[in-house]
Amino acid sequence: MRIFTIILLLFGFNQLMYSQDQNSTINLSFSNINRIEVLKKIEASTHYTFYFQEDWFDKNVLISGNYSNKTIQEVLTKVFEDTELNFYIDARKIILTKNSIIYDKYQSKNTKGTATHNAPVFFQQYDSIKKDKTNTENAIALIGKEAVDSDIDLYTLSGYIRDLKDDKPLADINVKVKNTSISTITNAAGFYSLKLPTGISTIEIESLFYKSTSRKIMIYSNGTLDFTTTEKINQLDEVLVKGKGSQNVRTAITGVTTIEAEGVKTIPLVLGERDILKIALTIPGVKTAGEGSSGFNVRGGKEDQNLVLLDNATLYNPTHLFGFFSSINPYTINKVDIYKGGIPSEYGGRLSSVFDIISKNGNTEKFSGEGGIGPVTSNLTASIPVVKGKASLLVGGRATYSDWILKTLDDENLKNSQASFYDLFAKYNHKINKSNSVEGTLYYSKDAYTITPDSLYKYSNRLISLKWKHAFNEKTNSEFNVTNSEYKFSINYESTNPDSFIFKYKIDDTQASLKFNTIYNSKHKFTYGLSTKLYKVNPGEISPNGESSLVTPINIDDEKGLESALFLSDKFEITEKLLLDVGARYSFYAALGEATQKVYQEGVPMTPSTVIEEKKYGKNEVINTSGGFEPRIGLRYIFDDSFFVKAGFDKNFQYIHLLSNNTTQAPTDTWKLSDLNVQPQSGLQYSLGLFKTLDYKDIELSLEGYYKTSKNILDYKVGANILLNQDLETELLQGEGKAYGVEFLLKKPYGRLNGWIGYTYSRSFIKLDSQFNDEKVNNGDYFPTNFDKPHDVSIVMHYKFTHRYSFSSNFVYQTGRPITYPIGKYTYNGAEYTLYSDRNKFRIPDYYRLDIGLNIEGNHKIKKLAHSFWNISIYNVLGRNNPYSIFFVTKEGQIKAYQTSIFGMPIPTITYNFKF
Amino acid sequence: MKKIFLYTLLAILFLASILGCTTPYAYQNNGFEDVVVIEATLTNEYKTQEVKISRTYSLEENFPQFESQAVVYITDNLGNKYEFDQNTASYTSITPFQALPDREYQLHILTKNGRTYESSIEKLTTPNQISSVVPTAVTKNGILGVEITVNSSDPTNTSKYYRYEYDETYKVVAPMWHPNEAIPAGNVVTLRKRTTEARTCYSNQKSEEILLTNTNNISEDIVSNFPIKFISSKDPIIKNRYSILVKQYVQSLTAHTYYETLKEISNNGNVLSQTQPGFLYGNIKSIDSPGEKVIGFFDVSSYSEKRLFFNFTDLFQGVLPPSYPYYCPAPIPDSDIAEYYFNNCYSTNPNSTCQGPTIVQLIESRIKVYYPTEGPLYILYPIECGDCTSFSSNIKPSFWID
Repeated sequence: MRIFTIILLLFGFNQLMYSQDQNSTINLSFSNINRIEVLKKIEASTHYTFYFQEDWFDKNVLISGNYSNKTIQEVLTKVFEDTELNFYIDARKIILTKNSIIYDKYQSKNTKGTATHNAPVFFQQYDSIKKDKTNTENAIALIGKEAVDSDIDLYTLSGYIRDLKDDKPLADINVKVKNTSISTITNAAGFYSLKLPTGISTIEIESLFYKSTSRKIMIYSNGTLDFTTTEKINQLDEVLVKGKGSQNVRTAITGVTTIEAEGVKTIPLVLGERDILKIALTIPGVKTAGEGSSGFNVRGGKEDQNLVLLDNATLYNPTHLFGFFSSINPYTINKVDIYKGGIPSEYGGRLSSVFDIISKNGNTEKFSGEGGIGPVTSNLTASIPVVKGKASLLVGGRATYSDWILKTLDDENLKNSQASFYDLFAKYNHKINKSNSVEGTLYYSKDAYTITPDSLYKYSNRLISLKWKHAFNEKTNSEFNVTNSEYKFSINYESTNPDSFIFKYKIDDTQASLKFNTIYNSKHKFTYGLSTKLYKVNPGEISPNGESSLVTPINIDDEKGLESALFLSDKFEITEKLLLDVGARYSFYAALGEATQKVYQEGVPMTPSTVIEEKKYGKNEVINTSGGFEPRIGLRYIFDDSFFVKAGFDKNFQYIHLLSNNTTQAPTDTWKLSDLNVQPQSGLQYSLGLFKTLDYKDIELSLEGYYKTSKNILDYKVGANILLNQDLETELLQGEGKAYGVEFLLKKPYGRLNGWIGYTYSRSFIKLDSQFNDEKVNNGDYFPTNFDKPHDVSIVMHYKFTHRYSFSSNFVYQTGRPITYPIGKYTYNGAEYTLYSDRNKFRIPDYYRLDIGLNIEGNHKIKKLAHSFWNISIYNVLGRNNPYSIFFVTKEGQIKAYQTSIFGMPIPTITYNFKF
Repeated sequence: MKKIFLYTLLAILFLASILGCTTPYAYQNNGFEDVVVIEATLTNEYKTQEVKISRTYSLEENFPQFESQAVVYITDNLGNKYEFDQNTASYTSITPFQALPDREYQLHILTKNGRTYESSIEKLTTPNQISSVVPTAVTKNGILGVEITVNSSDPTNTSKYYRYEYDETYKVVAPMWHPNEAIPAGNVVTLRKRTTEARTCYSNQKSEEILLTNTNNISEDIVSNFPIKFISSKDPIIKNRYSILVKQYVQSLTAHTYYETLKEISNNGNVLSQTQPGFLYGNIKSIDSPGEKVIGFFDVSSYSEKRLFFNFTDLFQGVLPPSYPYYCPAPIPDSDIAEYYFNNCYSTNPNSTCQGPTIVQLIESRIKVYYPTEGPLYILYPIECGDCTSFSSNIKPSFWID
């Protein structure tokens, strides 16, 4: 605004002067100097003085020129070509103006206001517009350069719309001129172009997921105006989870869901911990084996078939405290994309799903923070600008104080118990310039707990991710990513008897990937690249704990493997209605030495007795390789505005397996790499989805179905014991999996009452058949997997009384999972044995739970120290004693069954969250 | 303050619920399956062959039920039929016979409920003799003891899979034995010369472990120093003379695999992980309903055995022999005098020190045994100290060599 004032003053001043003869000519030549230098040159050689602001010029733009006997007007017109500057010559002064022209004659307005050809644009026209000085959005942007003799009535305004956080171009944003019918939408590069009449217009951008923004502009000629906007995170108490809404329409991939971290805050959760991954479990098709299980089962797949990524680095154990909390601090997370159907070709290595967790970028403008105080944990996240507008650091931490509480207790048992965890997060992001930005993430989580007083379990995740984003041009950009992840656990068993031991396990992976996105034309958008990942596994070592321990140290040989992939996909818009997303991934795996691999006799069962050779492999020597093409095809057809259909076909390979005898995933489960005797898993999925939006209250309905088959799914022989087993492969079976299901979702994303109801009917089976009896389970027929739970209902509701008060509830029902029961005993060879039922023949009781919560937002005063948010919730209101596990113990010759349950009573919590 | 209290309370609730909530679970145990259990190992030893048939029993019961009235016979590919008769706890062949090489044997069982079971066809494995059983004094895991190992070899390189069992017999000598024994005579006891052997006995115990080894990954079919049993130098069973009979069964791969799995499911896993429960299939099938579960394996193995004797002093010099398995102090510590010294007299006077009826009762119920001492008092030791028949057998086994 100040510029205008100065100009106006100057203008008034100069009115008093008499203008000099401007027809005298000058001679001037210059080369490769910037415009200010040019002006200085003119000042030096003539009697003119220039008045301008230096920041109007880009000093890096160099120009050259050679003028002889030209008038000053002619020279300046040339010099200011391609700028938004105009000049006004007043005697010896030359006043430069940005955008506008200084008129020395009053021009009468056309009486008919239909078109204002040539009409000068006066400041008064917008002087009267109320301006909010604090909000730059309301400032008037001056576009283009006014031309005195312009006779065009419409100018082209174009520009890019980007996400403020990550500079990602935003497609399909509606751009319109207020109070007119002029509108357009951005293309995939975030580019838009509009024809505008001269003068003041208000340009509005609108999107379902991004904040609406408007700018008042003053257009003088063709010009550009870029917008940045942010996702609508502030309205998330209404939009809790979105099945990518209309974005779902735009992609051809089936089974995609996005969960936004902010959005989960009103959902009642155990002990008030906001938990983004727990919300994932309310989505049809995603199930957990029970409270306290760290794994997910996605569409009938095993726990190890999910790839959990945090900023592209693998997170091996995304949970704290046996799975009660996810190990990701919700305040540091932007969103989670869950791919349970079609997996984009850039991801690979797991059969069932990808949980792509993307962290927040710090605020580059001002210091801000968020925190929460709950009964079990507290956390704090702070965002610190490092280079204003360009770089910032986001740091977050969360810790329990349960240990401290336990120590203050009188109960001997609890006093000696331990259950604690913490996690730390740091992210630095730096936008170097328009086409380059870098990001770095560091993450560490640690858990320590005791189950029995003499054993201490510890586990930790550590990951590092570095990313460099580079845009080559408007059409092609790239991402280069290097990550490293480590997961390890240890068991410290200390007792008075001589079996005290320390057991350790570790897996480490390092990945480098390079990805390109190219918008080839309006019909083809390509994503392609390559990645390679090196795994190192220490499958276990046991050592005596203390001097009196007689445990023999065992160290199982390390495993090493290299998984690489090339990927390419094309979003091919065949017609406006038909979109094809066709991609493929070629993955290649090599098991590497140093290793000793056992060779087993062909045609007989693989047992320690059928080893015929032990092959030794040198360091980095290739043991064996495997790999193959993984087609990923998605198709979308839009019938009309409210109804569309998707279909998909996907294939995946998986080279890493989780070994777990426990029914549910535990922190002490170990990962094993494919090798000479363990084949990679592979899976096929066929999926079909119908999506319908009802006019009534914006209700969204979806019905998705899938059929999956998989091969080489790991299971265990009867009698298998997998930890510290030197002939592990002899305990393993690789069978065929089969899963199918129908997922129904009714969602009301907006309104006072919002939420969703999901129902899934699904089955999951495995077949372990062989010509050899000991490799056969349940007679070689298909039988239900550990996580086969046919019926699954989840209802999440949120009702807003006022802006400050809202009520939420969460109901879950699942069929009890299958279990193998002891059903009798028998005596053989003088010893007594337990007779077990067919594997997974019985089921534990059904699971259901209702949670309720009341959310109170702090007051809406603008000036306050921090924005606060209270959450009062009761977990398991019905007090249902849901069994977590059922186990059998032989006591005095009798087999007794016990059930452990977690939270078998209502648990009330109060959590206080604040934001500053 | 209130808030802290609340948080503490909640945290306790929380931790208590995750750390301590284990309750007995009344599960629907209507899944009991009555399954036939068949134990049959046919060997090349010429003897009365044995087949055991029992049934599974419910978790609340303690003993299996013997399956009676079954028709049991073994056939071979030459048309021979070896019939079995029911005995008290098993079925034995009516005439002794042995498995012969190159014959194909099959087990047939017809149970009283009319079900027919048949094994797969099995052939005798390579006959192979144990070459030696060796005791060696070793220190294992910090414990001095004797390791008994077995050696065997098969030049034809076809035996490969071995299973071992053993029978242990050891001499017991009662330390507080006396040639005289006390016998009740009214309200007191009198002494007389012992009429039966009660000083030296022979105890016997069978292996419970499944011992398996194979020579698959070595170039020659040699079982070399396979450990059968380790006995600590403090174990009373080797206090005197000890004997072990090592039995070797050369198995087929399928039989071996069956026993391997049986071995695995017999140990419940460890602190780290449980073993995978499930049903173990053998080589016996129901003819009427092929899906029926049948427990057991019909195993045709070549058999060999070897016996070993040793004395403690043969192996350990300058090592204190193991103590007697029962506490028999000599001399009796002063503090325990009241437990050991008894006055063999009878009186109705309540102030009298006579313990005649008590002695009679302790002797009659075989709790204590007489041992002489000076003076009028008797020493009564626990019976195991003076009479080995109380826990062992005084019959010298026919194989015993002193």
